[in-house]
Amino acid sequence: MIGAVKNILTSSNLANIAQNTNASVTIETGLKAIGRPAFIWADKDIDPQTKKYAATKEFLYQAICLLTYMALVIPVFKKGFFSLAKNHIFKNEDAFKHFKSAKEYKHYRSLAEKSLNNRNLTSQKDLGSGKVIDMYDDTLKAELKKEKPELFPLVKGAIEFGSIVGSVVGLAILAPQVSHAFIHPILKFAGMENDNKNKTEKTDTNTEKVDVKA
Amino acid sequence: MTLASKFKDICLSLGKNNNPAYAVMAIATVKGICRPTFTMMDKTEDPETKKYTALREGLTEAIAIPAYWTTATLAGKMSKLFKDKKQSTLAQKNLLFIGVCTAALLVIPAACSVAIKPFMKFIQKDKKDVKNPVEPQKFDTGAVNNIQVKDDAVKNYTTPLAHDDKRPNLTAFNTLSRVQTSMKVGGV
Repeated sequence: MIGAVKNILTSSNLANIAQNTNASVTIETGLKAIGRPAFIWADKDIDPQTKKYAATKEFLYQAICLLTYMALVIPVFKKGFFSLAKNHIFKNEDAFKHFKSAKEYKHYRSLAEKSLNNRNLTSQKDLGSGKVIDMYDDTLKAELKKEKPELFPLVKGAIEFGSIVGSVVGLAILAPQVSHAFIHPILKFAGMENDNKNKTEKTDTNTEKVDVKA
Repeated sequence: MTLASKFKDICLSLGKNNNPAYAVMAIATVKGICRPTFTMMDKTEDPETKKYTALREGLTEAIAIPAYWTTATLAGKMSKLFKDKKQSTLAQKNLLFIGVCTAALLVIPAACSVAIKPFMKFIQKDKKDVKNPVEPQKFDTGAVNNIQVKDDAVKNYTTPLAHDDKRPNLTAFNTLSRVQTSMKVGGV
């Protein structure tokens, strides 16, 4: 048991996810979609009908935010900010000259973080099938032959910065608007919106009001 | 230090160690400003509901920001249990992420359930007090009628004069029944 926990805590795969803004924000939003409705559902002071409505609405809100984030924000901001950094902000930096896209850097880094033996196997495999590694320049190929290759933290940092900006814009500004447009029609379709509105009119203002706004 | 070099330092720092708490705290901060603003801008909603919802949304994010930071930092400190430096570094990254996930799944919803409801009730109670001030106490006529007069002499003295046949009945003094003469002020 302790060994299993130790293995999870020192897992390099988990560390890669933790260091990736998009992956961590996606997982965190997914957990929000479970945690918040669950706590609303567990509240014994709220009327069952209101509870059902509020929990469904919270789940829909988080789920739509997550879908919007994955579909629109991740690709646009990840690629967009890499291009912006490469061509304008850090155009004189050598680190950016080695990579054409964020995807290419991500592949290089995934190879560079592996041990030399594993890395060589993967490289051969990728070379054999004519994958991304064919596009690497000589500097990067030479780096990949070293025990500890250069990881180009500036490129990684620029990609992560773009992802953070994208996450903020996407989840705090864009996704709420998208979810607001979808939540009410979905709730009306499910027959939950009208019933609850009538219910709130009857209830006293001192009691827990239903969050009608997303 | 120029703005460009400062930005480069930020990127380098993020590239070397990207704390997952940064992103979620940035999201919570902007959400805490934008969500209540959007709610208040909605013209279709009832103003009272809007105020209530906006306040609740703002409070949720206000709770979320320190919760993310505290949970992630506390979890990250557990990495000191690993004596091997490489393992400790990996564990710190993973524990920071686990801390953020724990905050999102358990800590923030629990804190919101505990803190927001009493706070909202407290605010609504204050509003009710301003809108409906305490009504003055009604005069209790029953209490006056129940006063017992102990002294019989006083009781006899206070017999209404209208029942005394020797004295004129003042209720018969009706001004309208008298002839109105001259133009006196007041008409009497």
